Parts: sequence; structure tokens; C-alpha cells
Amino acid sequence: MMFELRPKQQEVLDYYQGYMGVSAVPGSGKTEILSRLAARIILRGDLEDEQEVLVVTLVNSAVDNFAIRVGEIIQQRGLLALSYRVRTLHGLAHDIVRERPAIAGLSDSFEIIDERVADQIREDSVAAWIRGHPYALEDYFDPQMEAGKRDWVRREQMPRLLNDLALSFIRYAKDNRLTPDLVRERLDSLPVPLPLAEIGCELYADYQRALAYRGAVDFDDLIRLALYTLEQDEDYLARLRWRWPYILEDEAQDSSQLQEQILRLLAGAAGNWVRVGDPNQAIFETFTTASPQFLLDFLEEADFKKEMPDSGRSTRSIIKLANHLIDWTNFEHPVESVRNALTKPYIQPVPPDDPQYNPDDGPAQVRLIHTKLTPAEEIKAVVDSLGSWLPENQDKTVAVLVPRNFRGFEVASELKQRQIEYIEILRSTANTRVAAGVLGNVVNYLADPQSSAKLSKVYQVWRRDNQGDSAENDRYQQVASLLRKCRYVEEYLSPQADRDWLTELDLQDMEIIDELAAFRKMMQRWQGTALLPIDQVILTLAQDLFTEPADLAIAHKLAVLLRRVSETRQDWRLPELTQELAVIARNERRFLGFSDEDTGFNPERHRGKVVVTTMHKAKGLEWDRVYLMSVNTYNFPSGYDEDTYIAERWFVRDKLNLEAEAMAQMDAALSQDDYAWYQEGLATHQARQDYSAERLRLLYVGITRAKSELIISWNTGRKGDQLPAVPFIALHSFWNGQHEDLEGSDE
Amino acid sequence: MMFSIPSRTSKTLLSAQVALIERPTNAKIFLEGPAGTGKTTVGVERVLHLMALGIPADSILLLLPQRTLGAPYYQALRYPGVVAGGTVDVLTVGGLARRMVDLFWPLVAEQAGFGKPDQLPVFLTLETAQYYMARLVSPMLDQGYFESLTIDRNRLYSQILDNLNKAAVVGFPYTEIGKRLKAAWTGELSQARVYEDAQFFATRFRLYCLENNLLDFSLQIEVFLKHLWSMPLVHETLLESYRHLIFDNLEEDNPVAHDLLGEWLPEFESALLIYDQQGGYRSFLGADPHSAYTLKDDCSEHAVFSESLVNSPELQAFGSYLSRALGGQAEKPQLGFSTGDVLLFEPHRYHPEMLDWVVEQIAALVDNGTPPGEIVILAPYLGDALRFSLTNRLQAAGVPSRSHRPSRALREEPAAQCLLTLAMLAHPDWALVPARFDVAYAFIQAIAGLDLVRAQLLTEIVYRVKDSLPALTSFDRINPGMQERITYVFGGLYEELRAWLTAYREGPPEQLDYFFSRLFGEVLSQAGYGFHRDLHAAQVAANLVESARKFRWVAAVDDLEEPEALGREYIQMVQDGVVAAQYLSAWETYSEETIFLAPAYTFLMSNRPVDYQFWLDVGGRGWFERLYQPLTHPYVLSRTWPTDAVWTDADEVTYSQDTVHRLVLGLVRRCRRGIYLGLSELGEQGYEERGALLRAIDRVIRAVQTEV
Repeated sequence: MMFELRPKQQEVLDYYQGYMGVSAVPGSGKTEILSRLAARIILRGDLEDEQEVLVVTLVNSAVDNFAIRVGEIIQQRGLLALSYRVRTLHGLAHDIVRERPAIAGLSDSFEIIDERVADQIREDSVAAWIRGHPYALEDYFDPQMEAGKRDWVRREQMPRLLNDLALSFIRYAKDNRLTPDLVRERLDSLPVPLPLAEIGCELYADYQRALAYRGAVDFDDLIRLALYTLEQDEDYLARLRWRWPYILEDEAQDSSQLQEQILRLLAGAAGNWVRVGDPNQAIFETFTTASPQFLLDFLEEADFKKEMPDSGRSTRSIIKLANHLIDWTNFEHPVESVRNALTKPYIQPVPPDDPQYNPDDGPAQVRLIHTKLTPAEEIKAVVDSLGSWLPENQDKTVAVLVPRNFRGFEVASELKQRQIEYIEILRSTANTRVAAGVLGNVVNYLADPQSSAKLSKVYQVWRRDNQGDSAENDRYQQVASLLRKCRYVEEYLSPQADRDWLTELDLQDMEIIDELAAFRKMMQRWQGTALLPIDQVILTLAQDLFTEPADLAIAHKLAVLLRRVSETRQDWRLPELTQELAVIARNERRFLGFSDEDTGFNPERHRGKVVVTTMHKAKGLEWDRVYLMSVNTYNFPSGYDEDTYIAERWFVRDKLNLEAEAMAQMDAALSQDDYAWYQEGLATHQARQDYSAERLRLLYVGITRAKSELIISWNTGRKGDQLPAVPFIALHSFWNGQHEDLEGSDE
Repeated sequence: MMFSIPSRTSKTLLSAQVALIERPTNAKIFLEGPAGTGKTTVGVERVLHLMALGIPADSILLLLPQRTLGAPYYQALRYPGVVAGGTVDVLTVGGLARRMVDLFWPLVAEQAGFGKPDQLPVFLTLETAQYYMARLVSPMLDQGYFESLTIDRNRLYSQILDNLNKAAVVGFPYTEIGKRLKAAWTGELSQARVYEDAQFFATRFRLYCLENNLLDFSLQIEVFLKHLWSMPLVHETLLESYRHLIFDNLEEDNPVAHDLLGEWLPEFESALLIYDQQGGYRSFLGADPHSAYTLKDDCSEHAVFSESLVNSPELQAFGSYLSRALGGQAEKPQLGFSTGDVLLFEPHRYHPEMLDWVVEQIAALVDNGTPPGEIVILAPYLGDALRFSLTNRLQAAGVPSRSHRPSRALREEPAAQCLLTLAMLAHPDWALVPARFDVAYAFIQAIAGLDLVRAQLLTEIVYRVKDSLPALTSFDRINPGMQERITYVFGGLYEELRAWLTAYREGPPEQLDYFFSRLFGEVLSQAGYGFHRDLHAAQVAANLVESARKFRWVAAVDDLEEPEALGREYIQMVQDGVVAAQYLSAWETYSEETIFLAPAYTFLMSNRPVDYQFWLDVGGRGWFERLYQPLTHPYVLSRTWPTDAVWTDADEVTYSQDTVHRLVLGLVRRCRRGIYLGLSELGEQGYEERGALLRAIDRVIRAVQTEV
């Protein structure tokens, strides 16, 4: 398709050198333009052999997306197109550290632990710590809490709370490049104890010791060490600067402090650095140093400041609603400090001659459902609405966007019950999940070989792709069900002369007998692998299970990684390794290129089906019709003290957010300012406002996913005490004020 | 020009080769040239020539930097019709050192500072040295040593040992290790502290060795060179024994070997030193081509071979192009080449696709009559998953292969695991409790025909852990229904095994190696049991017995005299991977019948050309990057490195360019017909691969295409 450039897009493409900041609204085509810019720089021909355009983006799916687009535009030459490199920040950090690991004190075989292992290490540290300090948090518990409940909280809630606290504390410390020693030193020099920072520091130190013992780093270390490496070795930095004479950064609004510093070093003061982002779509900031402010500051500092305000994505009505959310936030938000959560530019519809002209407008296609509904009623209403809309709109795309995963599962389960076709993208993306899941099922059986249920599952997995005619399907079902009922698995899999389950079944259907015999043969082979090292188990299974190159590649990678895990955790056997398999598949995606199956989920491929996902995961995607659910005060609080905040535990006194308080204590410990002493409750208060601001942007992201139709609803929450979110009320009254004729039609 | 006279090994020789081979028996020759120019052939034929002239074989010393490089010599010396009369001593300088220390121990023990000069020395292998290092370092890690370092423990131990070895083979005092490393360090100071820690433990280890008569490689070398070599008796013994010297691949040996040679050379009647001009691959082991080259001046005759007897003209042209693309000084070749003739490749996205392609190409070559022995598959590193994937695919394609690397670590051999698990069960007082899975797997291995499900059932019922001690209960006490499920045949075999273990336990404790031998001989190798007629399992069992025995010999010098304690210690060391007991033997059985699968360096060290090479992961970093070892540094600890210079990024780049240049030219020169490039956009681990070698080849192809 010919891509005609809008004038504002052309301006961005005319970039030649220096620092350029681009503020782009949803649907303005920023990824496309950035890919084109990369291609254009390459085609200009002034890159030398070893030089590359470096493209940095936020998530893995975008990596491939970019690579494919750039690759399509430029002509392939020689063996490979070598003149660009697309990386996530983690991928880039890994490249930097991996090339010179010694500078960061790593050996060449350093291991990157995934979140599960990190979680486990933290859990171990927390458990050990609690044993030594069972009453340490007593001062923070709600004094009204009765003794029995208090015991229960200590036993059941404290580990979780401390784990969360440790997670945020450690991440925050690493973002700020503080070692446990450094925090310790400061804490020891204080005249007054800071109990939460003390706890955080001890857990942090313990955690790092466990990592060092394994010869491992976590994802946050990787970034920290990349920056450290660049700072330590000027020559190396100079070499990398030469290698990457142009840096193009997408989604710059989610840039963290360290990302900003790494890229700034790589670009150099006189370098070429293009940052594109939308400050209004910064939705990954909580308890990190990420902030849209970095982009906003950069826009001011850059040699060139550009805007891409034109968007042909949504109808004029939807654009109007989104723009009003900016206005309302800026001028009317009841909490003043939240008013800068969203910023201009407004979204501009494109002129009528634009090839990507906004869809036909119809104010009735925007509906804010004010009716008070329980969570169950809300789901029912949405599913009802889908049930009547879908049959007429099989050629359209539609999504239900929820604030949290579990809400999505509820919606999915209702859709399933009503037999409405849906695609759920709630956890990890398709491809690795499938490959790892398939392998996982088999390994899971090998770990528990007496289980006929698991054996039957393995059979289904083995036959997963053979969705043939219905007779064949029936046969598969029958075989699966027979296997499930097999009482003594060994009499099927390893029959003895006098005892063979298959013979004793006395089946008449030869095809089923053959099928069971064939599966038995396969299983006997697989059973034999159980004694092998885990990598060989996986590779052997993969050869029998997969034909797709991408699946085989993932299996290979999983094999290598599991092997490494099993070397550090020698006490792990199949059950633990099975669990690990699933988690590795999820985490390794940060680096993997094994994702062209799920390269940016493409809604267009699922016309006539409902896509269920979170508002976070919907970023970058668009649908003809969008439902935004659960827009209540719980999911979208407004910074009021009366609102309910997830991070504030019910058993903690004064509604304190202990994670935020712990970090504030760390800040106080490190502060050189004698007057900026820690004051309890301030951080909790600030966290409410930050969270509220981020949730406003999340709402903005949700709204701007819709092309033609948008339906927003809320519910009363689990306890029935939640209200419609304040911005929801504002949008509702704005919309009804504008379109009084529509009033009532939404109920 | 070719002579028609066949050599003793029925090779056809060039006149230049014959001229050197037949030099008088008092000639001292320095022969240099790139790989593939026929230098080793001269070495081999010279040995045979000397013997044919009646020189006693045992007065000829054949020195090599590494035993694998001797393959052509071993082959020739085994050749039918080779003159009899003693055997030629084929040694490394390290081997010579050890032999001398062993022989002259009483003379040197006290002088060299050993604590028990009246007792015998104990020579440590890499593995047993690592064991002692682990015992010294491990308990002190909690005190904050190496705290800022992210490294797994076995590597930590081996790098401290490596530093000691470097000091010994480069010839500087081991007390300077930390100082030298620190001086070259450019980063933050706290990082430099780990070098102090490394020095601390190197010193402790050395003192411990001296105190207990333990000799690791570094101490063997130092005792030989510093003490023995200068003793007149030792000197005379050596001079009397060896009158003629052949030293092949001089450039792969280390500076102290060259120093030794410098002093020794005048004493030989004749000598032939062979130097590969672009070699020095073993720099990470201390190889020093510079010091090797200085020996040229000590020889009376120089010869240079430059014409390749291996490469086709196209491959030679490709080599020159590639050399230039990698920054080498090669002249622009007269001849171009067409890529399809010598360089075959096909781009792939995923790594396994590339492996499929490689195996397809190999199968086609073999079908067309290429002997499998003329094909090598090379990768910078050959990980387990890669090796397994390749051998599996080759097997499926009906192509025999063998991979050149030590056998799997013991703990990975199911047969060894079975013996280790049974050992734990036989020694409950060790309080080593095997995992339930391991017990079930041990039963599967031990009892022939027992399947996974029944093994698990059996384990669930008979395996108990009481008061943290493992125990097995009797099959006869299981309820009949379950007995029937497990079957009486398997139950009977289990019961016999259990009875044996119980009887063993009731007797006096035995050494672990003896326990393994008995268990294997009396039970597992009998009919009905899993090791019966299983040659591989028998081999593994034999390796385990040998490893445990060696461990006992070495470890018994210390305070762990009790067989019980030693056995427990051994099992733990195997579980921790400190003792891997890998046995190298594959290279001795080179065969025309199998594809050779090896890391690129290993192939270079096998000293022979082949028709076809497959280079895997051409985009990978392993082709040009050294292994980063945070506690040691092959270049900084070399003789050429100025002790006060800082190692910079520029040095790193220079060295990696030099590395890839040497490596790939070494490979090209050992290839007769064609090179296949295994290309995949994403490497084995899913990372995008576009390293220096890929870029260089890309440049070559574009250059050639432009010229066309």
C-alpha cells in the first residue's frame, strides 16, 4: 500500500541530525514514521560498514515489528541486512554488558534470572527474616485489630506484604544505583531509626547475596550494569557511539531514569537522538523511576521539537471525548496536583483528503453507561450487548478492555459459557506459551507418570494440530476419554505378558486400537527420556512434537535455559523444572526474537471475535468497537483520601502504603538535606496522586483504542461500595451536555 | 615438484620436504610456514628417517605443546614396517616435568620447600586440584571474599588455579598475580579487590600444597624448572637420554618451555623445530609465538614453506579475501573465486533450521562419496544442546558422527547416577538423602526392563526417610495387589538388590571404589539387572570406580582418613560438579568413518586438514571474543604484556580482531575443497547474531560480487 505522508509526518522524516523530540498522539502513525526514518537514514548511505541505526523500543513484540518494517523498506544486501539493530532496553543492556562483562564484574557465562526465581529468592529471604523478626511490623498494624486476627495477619499477610515491599524497595534502589552496602552505611549513620528502610535494606542485601551465589543478575541489574559499564570505560563507550551514530527511541514516555542516562551516554552531546512518544500514554510508572517528565524535558531541550497531532484512527466524537479528558484533567480535576497528568497536544482529526481518514462520525456510537451495576451485572450487560451486536458485525473488530487480568478472566469465562468466540490476551503472548505449554504438559506427565489424567492430556497435546473431520475428532475424543479412565497406566504403557490394558479393553474399532498403539509407542520413547538431563528431555520431545521452525527454536532455547537452571538448582527435579518451563517462556520474551507468530497482536486477524485484554496490553492496538469496563473509584481513584487504593492494606494503620513509605525512608536516609526529613504519611499521600494520575492516562489509552464505537461502564465493586470514577462522571456529563438528544439512550 | 618416491607412510613428498628430511644427523633446523604447507609431514618423516639410519628410537624426544597435536606422529609410528628398536618418547614439557619430579623427588622435595620430604608426592589432576581449592575457598566465601563478583563456584576455583598455572608457564612469581591483574584494570577500584582475593587464595593454595606434598600443574613445572633442571644429575640424565629433538607446533607452547629449549638446544645432536606462522591459538593457555620464534636464532638452518598443499586455488583466494576483510595484511589475490564453488550458504531465521540444512548438506556429500572423516562441523563453542541436536539429526540421516570432547560429566550419566544413588542408600549414616525421583531412576537403571510407572510405584512404597536417614523396606511386606501391579519378577530383582545392600551395610565399611566394583560385579552386571551386557554402562561404572579411587589416593593425604568420610566427600564433590570425571579418549580413535564435531580450536589442535568444513553460528560472538574470566586474563598475564600497562577497550578490540583472523585463516588453510556457512539470524539462544566474522564474510561476498 502506498503510504502518503501528512505534512507533520514529513517534517519528522526530514530529520537529518541532532536531538529531535516528537510528541505524537494516539493513532498518528509514529511507529510507521520511525521505521521509515530508520530506513531513510540507512538508504542515505553515509553509514559505514560496521555502523547501525539503533532503534530502542518498549516491548518485544515491537522489536520484530520494527525489524520487519525497516527490513521491508530497505533492500537486502550481502548475507543479511546488517545496518540496523532493534532492541528493547533490556535487550540493549544485555548487548552492552555481554560484550564486555568483565567491566561489570561478571563472568562470560553470567546468568539472568527470571522473575520466578527472583520471586523465590525474595520469598526465601522474607521467610527467613520473619522467623528472626516475627513482630517487627507490629507498630504498623491497625491497633484496633483483635489479637486473633493479628496472628492471622502475621502468618498469612505479612509474607506477601514484605515480599511486595522488598520488590519495590530493591527495584527502586537499583534504579537509583544504590548497593545494599551503601544503603546500610547511610542507615547506620542516622540518629533515628527508619524501620521500613531497615527491613528493605536487610532483604535487599540478602537477595543480592543469593544472586551472587548463583552467578546471576536480575533484569534490573542488567540495566544498572549496562550504565555502569558505559561510565567505566570511555573507550568502549566511544566505540559504541561510533557503532550507533543514530538512536531512535519509540515509546519514550515510559523511559526510566536509567534508560534516559544510557541513551544519553550512547548518543553523546553532539550525537543524533530521536525520541518519539506520547506523554499521555505513560502507564508503566508505578514504583519505578520511569516518568513522562523525561520526555517532556527532552522536548524542551532538543534541537528540534515536532508534533504529530493528526490522527485518522477514531471518529471525531471519540477524539472529542479524549480531548475533553485532557481539558477536564488540566482545569477541573478536583485534586490540583493531578492536573498535569495529561498534556496537550490535542488529537486532531485529519483533513478529508487524507488516505487514512477518520471513520464516519456518529455521536450515538459513544456511550457512557451510568447505570449502577454490580460486577456480575456489568459483565452480563457487556456480554449481552456483544451477543446482539456480533451477528450483525462479523466483519468488524471488537475488544473488551479491563483494568486487571482477573476481571478479564471473568469476562472470558462468561463469553465461553455463552458460546461467543473470543481471544484472550491476558498473560503472555501466544507462541512461547503454546510451545512451552505443550512441552510442559509432557514433562508434567513424566513427573507424575501414574496419572491417567495427565497421560490423557499428553495425548491431546500430541494430537493438538490434527483438527481433522468430525469423525476424526470424535475418535480423538474417545481415545482421550479412554486414557483418562485407564486405571493402571503401567498396564497400558508397559504391558506384561499376562496383562495388557489395550487387549483387555476389547475394542472393536480398529482405528482406535491403532491410535492407542501408536500413542503407546510414542510414550514409551518419551518415558525413556526421563532419566536424561533436562535439555535432552526437551530436545527429544520437541523433535516429536513440533514441526514449525519457530517452535523448535523456542524448544532449543528452553532446553539451554533449563539446563542452566538445573545446574544451579541441583535439587530440582521434573516437577520444579516443569514450573520453571512456563515462567522462563514468559520472561525470556524480553530478549527473544521468537515471536513473529505473535508479533504485535493484530486485531484485524480476529474479525467477528471478541478480544479480551487489559487496557495496558491494548496499548498500540485499535478496534472498531471497544468496551471499557470497571471504570469505578477502585480502579480509577482520583487522589482523594477517601478513595480505596490497592497498595494500602486493610490491616495497616492509617491507610499507610508501606511500599511507598519504605521508599520514602530510603530517600530520607540518602538525603543530604537536613530539612527534608522523613514524615510518615506523606509518601502514601503522594503515591495516591501518582497512581491517580497514571490511571487517568490509562483511561485515556483505553478511550483512544476505539475507532468507531466506544462503550464505557462501571460497577460497584466486590463489596458494593464503589462509585463511578470521577473522570467517568466528568466525561458522562460533558457528553450528555453536548448531546442532550442522546440522553437516556445509553441506559 | 613431486618426487615419485613414496615416503615410509606412502605419502608423496616434495623435493623441499625430502631435502629437509634427509639433512645430516647433526642438523638443527628451524622450519616455519603457514598451516597446510607440509611441515608436520617433514617432522614425521624425519623421525622415521632417523630411526631408519639406526638411531635408537628412545634417544629421540618428540615434544608437543599438547598431546592431540601428535596424532600424525602416533599414526606414523604405528605404521606397519616402521623400524623397530625402542619407542620414541612423545611428551609435553609438562609431562616431562612431572616425570622428572617423580623420578628425582627425594633430591628435590626439601629444597623445593615441601613439608613432608620423606613422604611421596601426590600429583594433582585439574580435577583434584579443584577439589582442594574448593576445600580452601568455599568455607571462606561467607567472610566476604569475592563478594562483588558474579560467578559460579567451579569457575571461581578453576580461575585461581589457572592464574597459578599462568605464573608458572609465563615465568613470573605467583605472588605477583594480583599485582599484575590490578595494574591492568581500568574500572572501579572495588572491582580490583577481587584480584587481591584471587592472590590471597592462590598463595594459600600454594602453601597448602607445599605443606602436604601436593603438586598441581604449576608446582610440577616450577619444581622442575627452578630446582631440578639446574641439578647436574638431572641435567645429565636428560642429556644422556635424548640426543635428537623434534618439536612440532612450537608456537603453541609457553614461554618457559621455550626458555628451557633455549638452554637445552645446544646439547642435542640434531633438532627440528616446527613453527606455524599464524598459529598461537592456545594463547589462553599461555601459548607464546613470540618467544617461540626467538629459538630460530639458536638453529643453524632455516627453512620456510609457503605453498599450500591443501587448499584449492579458489580457497586460497577466499582465504586472502577474508584475511583482508578482517584487517589482515594479505595481498589482494590475483584470482577471484565464485562463491558457489568454495563457499556454500543459505540464510535461515532460526537456529534449528540452520542445523537441518547443515545435516542435509552433509548427507548429500556423503551420498556423493565423500568419506565422513573428511567432513568436520565446527562451532566456536559446542554446548550440550547443540551437540545433542546435531548428533541426533546426523543419526536420523544415517551419518555416523563423533563429537570431540570429553564424555559427559559423571553426574549426567544415568548409570553413574544409579550407582551414586545406591551408594547413598547403602550408607544411610552419610545422611545424604536421595530425591525420590533419583531412587526411582536408579531402580529403572538397575533392574532390566523396569518401566517408569512401576519404578515410581515401587519407590513410593519401599523408599522411606526416617529421621533424615534413607532406608528401603522389603517388597514382601507390600500388599499383594500392589505386588501384582509392580510384578513379582521386578519385585524379586528388587528384593535381591535390597538384600545385597543390607548385607553390605552390616559388614565393615569399605572404600567407595571397592563398593562400586562389588555392586557392579555382584549385582548389576548379573542377568536380570540393567548393566548386564550394557557396554556403555559398564564403561561408566569403570570410570566411576577409577575416579573414586584416584580421589581416594589424593584426598587420603589429608585428614580425611576414614573411608566413610572420604566416600561421602566424593559423592558430594560429584554432585557439586567439582569432580566431573570426564574421560578424554575420542581423539585417539580418529576414523575415516565418522563426521567430526568439535569446537573450532579443538579441530585446529588435531593437526590435520579435511575436505569440507561446516562453520556453525557464523554470526556468533564466540568466533572472535575471548572467554571473559573475571579473575584471570590471558593477555595481561602473558610475557609480552608490559606489567604497568592498562588493558583498554582498544586492546580488547585489537586482540579479538587478531583472534578471529588467526582462527579462521587457520581453518581455511586446513580445508581442501569447500566451506559451508551455517547462518541463522537468531542464534541458539534467540539473540540476533551479527558478529565480526559474519560481517567480514559479508564484505568478502560483496567485494567479489562487485568485481564480477
